[in-house]
Amino acid sequence: MRLSTRKLLDKSFTFCAVMAVVVLTAFLIFVLAPIFVRGCGAYVFRGTVEYRRMMLDQFGRGDEVALAREIALAQTARQPVYSAVTAFEAELKQMPAARRREMRPLFKVVREGLELLLGPEPGKPLPTLPRMLYGQTRWDGARRHLKHVLYEVQWDYSDDDDGVRVLAPRKPFFAGTALEPIFDLLENDLDRMLNPRLTFYGRFLTDKSVDAHFFGGIGPEVMGTIYLALTAMLIAVPLGVVAAIYFQEYAEGGAVMTFLRSCVNTLAGVPSIVFGLFGLAFFINTIKVSQGKSVLAGALTLALLVLPTVIRASEEAIAAVPRAYKEGALALGAGQWRTVLTIILPAALPGILTGVVISMGRAAGETAPIIFTAAVSVGKLSRPLKMLFRDTPALSWNLYNICTEHEAVDRIRHVQYGMALTLVVLVLALNLVAILIRARVSKRLKG
Amino acid sequence: MKRTVEKITLTAREKFVRQVFSTLGRAILFSVTSVAALAVLAIIFFIARDALPFFKNEGMREFFFNKSWYPTREPAQFGAMAIFTGSLLVTFFAVITAVPPGVFAAFCMSDILAFRVRQVLKPVIEMLAAIPSVTYGFFALVVLAPLLQNHGGMALAVAWWVLATPIMLVASLVMAELICGLRYKERAGFAVRAALTLIFAALSAVLLLRVGSKLSGLEVASGVNALNASIILAAMALPTIVSVSEDALQACGRELREGSYALGATRAETLIKVILPASASGIFSAVLLGVMRALGETMVVLMASGNAAQVPSPIYNLLQPVRTLTATIASEMGEADQMTGSSHYHVLFAMGLCLLIFSFLCNLAGEWIVNRQRRKLRGA
Amino acid sequence: MKKSILTAGLIIGSLTVNAEQKMVMDGSTTVGPIAKAFAEYYMRENPGVNISVSESGSGNGAKSLLNGNCDIANLSRDLKDSEQQAMKDKGVNPVKHVVAFDALPVIVHPSNRVKGLTIGQVRDIYSGKITNWKEVGGSDRKIVVVSRETNSGTFETFSELVMGKDARISSKTEYAGSNGAVRQRVQMTKGAIGYAGLGFVDRSVKALEINGVMPCVQCVLDKTYPLARELFMFTDGEPRKGSLAARFLALINTEKGCEIVEEIGYVPVNAAMRK
Repeated sequence: MRLSTRKLLDKSFTFCAVMAVVVLTAFLIFVLAPIFVRGCGAYVFRGTVEYRRMMLDQFGRGDEVALAREIALAQTARQPVYSAVTAFEAELKQMPAARRREMRPLFKVVREGLELLLGPEPGKPLPTLPRMLYGQTRWDGARRHLKHVLYEVQWDYSDDDDGVRVLAPRKPFFAGTALEPIFDLLENDLDRMLNPRLTFYGRFLTDKSVDAHFFGGIGPEVMGTIYLALTAMLIAVPLGVVAAIYFQEYAEGGAVMTFLRSCVNTLAGVPSIVFGLFGLAFFINTIKVSQGKSVLAGALTLALLVLPTVIRASEEAIAAVPRAYKEGALALGAGQWRTVLTIILPAALPGILTGVVISMGRAAGETAPIIFTAAVSVGKLSRPLKMLFRDTPALSWNLYNICTEHEAVDRIRHVQYGMALTLVVLVLALNLVAILIRARVSKRLKG
Repeated sequence: MKRTVEKITLTAREKFVRQVFSTLGRAILFSVTSVAALAVLAIIFFIARDALPFFKNEGMREFFFNKSWYPTREPAQFGAMAIFTGSLLVTFFAVITAVPPGVFAAFCMSDILAFRVRQVLKPVIEMLAAIPSVTYGFFALVVLAPLLQNHGGMALAVAWWVLATPIMLVASLVMAELICGLRYKERAGFAVRAALTLIFAALSAVLLLRVGSKLSGLEVASGVNALNASIILAAMALPTIVSVSEDALQACGRELREGSYALGATRAETLIKVILPASASGIFSAVLLGVMRALGETMVVLMASGNAAQVPSPIYNLLQPVRTLTATIASEMGEADQMTGSSHYHVLFAMGLCLLIFSFLCNLAGEWIVNRQRRKLRGA
Repeated sequence: MKKSILTAGLIIGSLTVNAEQKMVMDGSTTVGPIAKAFAEYYMRENPGVNISVSESGSGNGAKSLLNGNCDIANLSRDLKDSEQQAMKDKGVNPVKHVVAFDALPVIVHPSNRVKGLTIGQVRDIYSGKITNWKEVGGSDRKIVVVSRETNSGTFETFSELVMGKDARISSKTEYAGSNGAVRQRVQMTKGAIGYAGLGFVDRSVKALEINGVMPCVQCVLDKTYPLARELFMFTDGEPRKGSLAARFLALINTEKGCEIVEEIGYVPVNAAMRK
């Protein structure tokens, strides 16, 4: 082949390889960007006066006096809307029956929309569910909801094909009535009625949810995940480290060792859902560690899942301890026990820690093994020991739960994104810690 | 003098005690290790224990060769063939999409990028492998599914153009060069080469446009389908594949590379003809890991595959929903009667057993290949 | 003597009850919103009480009750004979409490021009006989059939009321794990058809007339809408007076409880009486 051809081939090969990396990176950014960007929206957003009212009611947070003043201000801004509604109600009674029958459903929709936007009308009996007690707590939600009040979504089926979505302004329906001005009022004055303000809701991470995640945070889920991951590690680490020591320092090879080793390798390849099945069949149905789902059963299952990772990481760390250390210790007369405990383990500790932290991230993120063994959609936290025998919500499972099973999936998108972000950040942070530990170790070994 | 000697040497009694303790300790260590290692046997045992009644009562034939999955009807039908097909289909396409870019990215990271960049990139990629699957599933359901649904054809066409245009351009350059090399042994005029390149470029442009317009005309009936699941599974498997193949490429060492360069090979030739064969076993195990990751994944397929127990027609039609083994287990375990041991409960364990056996086979294949490679290296 | 032992036992019993006010609910995703809202309301009113709610399907709820894994099982259908038999064998005595009335609106994407179907047409669509909307007066579009997962009471009610004994659901049907997921699928998918509990249907999807009747509170009560049903909570035996379960279930018939049910979108039990 000619040299120029070979050069060109070489260059195109390089191009393809670089492009592969670029495509990979681009795709991962495509996946992660929405989660990061919209996930932050759960923590930082423009909260309305309704948000502050909710926080004061439900969590007792905020300045009561300032809030009262703010509410009063918002109320004066809303007053024209409410008086228009009252006026229209009176007008409705005067209407001829046919027109009244026509107007009443239209009016009802507007009124319900108003309640969802601004909260219950003053002077009317309060609803029971917290989700109905407040208007839109987030400005982005309010803007979106305003559209529902101002426009009616109609579907035009006149064409032969599918219906076409048409946004019909509601204002013309009420032309000439007392209700007409509210549409302009809402469009122009909504910020005075809701008084949006940039809000940082850091306690989203620790607050309990109010009314099935309509408001509040994801505290129980975060705690449940931490409990599960920590308990799993408490079980997996001793087992894994001991096994690693045995494999590296004691085992002499032979058929038994080869067999045990391939057992560990096989364990690493078992699909996570099969761990879930096993947890159900063994921990819950056979040895009955608890009545039904519990943190303990889930943690035991997760421990098995991360065990191979722990063993492998610890083995690598132990193998990386220079032989000279061990030989020096043995030469000085230390027994094998003492060598392992005082020389090898401390030297291998950072490496083991890396593996442990990575496995913890894995345990925190897994969903399939805890579906049948630990996770529930609503639960309350209690003391750690009690928690062990109790089912728990967990970030991973509840993310699945609230983005598929919730009754108002669209209204709580921000919570879903926030939960996804929290889970990703939790896992990535654990991995970052592991990387930092590893970097320090390699620096120390080099230096 | 005598006293110090006494201090170092042990009495027979002390020796005995030490020996006992050491043996005891060893025994304890061994038993703990066995517990850790034999857990997998317990898993196989308990899954098999609950799976075998199904095969005993219902037989294998229906399970593997029938497509009717009606586990709750009277009488129940447990034909899982469509579900097996779904699992394999999704896995196959995920791996097909993930392997070429994965291996190329591994080449890039091990031999093309500067050492410094690689040192940053490698941990980042390993971190990406750790992102929980439910997050990917969430993305598939909330972002990708509506995108495919509403602008499905367009999105596919854009992806095709973005990915294929550079490759087509490079390919036409290479084709032109190759033909020049065949036709004119010594040197081709610039004009000839440019003309050939242009011809190929025009041909590929036609291809690009034709395929693109065909894709953009596609109507995606539902956004959660085999395609969605495959894409996400590929994205999930990619970091693992890249990271493990990169390790394998690195493990070949400098000597092979330097030898090849010294003989005058270009980088591409070195990588493809020397390094790739030498690290084939490592790359193969990377692919196997990718397969296992995709096949064993639950949450993504549960959320993104549509869960229809059907064999798509035609079979390569990825735009139809499918159902996989893992998703079936996850979504139906809740209903199966655990106490009285209904067939429905056992059939799900039978599916688990099949998954287990498959991952076991993958492991065996991986180990076999690694061993063979080791033997070959030792022999050489 | 006996009496004092009894009182001691009662005191200890009440003490443990006070220390451990815990209740587990499991079952239907249709009843789930009611159960969750009740649980939160109850926990807010009575601090120190811990109620956990799982939504794993009616079948699972029945099983949990049978195994003693839950105190209250939420079901969106009545117990099946096999389940009743199993409970009898195990000495569990299921007691039924109706929490709300519900309808199963058949929903489609709002762009769909079809206004209503007959039960027969719905059956043909789900069994795969009708595959295009133009066969029932819609535009030329493939029908994407979405159903609830087979462990749900919603699915069983639907199969019983629509499919009957002979027809079976086509294998092309996509399954979704919950009412919310069905609604979401239908709302995203032009050409989709699905069914879900009344509380899950909002303006983002279009409910169809079935046999010419729109699903509504009125027609659920007078049973003119053919796909209507009751939602249940089951306990093992009539809950003891004053026990947590009893106080919790009493919520159903209170004004507050009915308000919650109504606000979620179901038909409360007192609606019939009000009428």
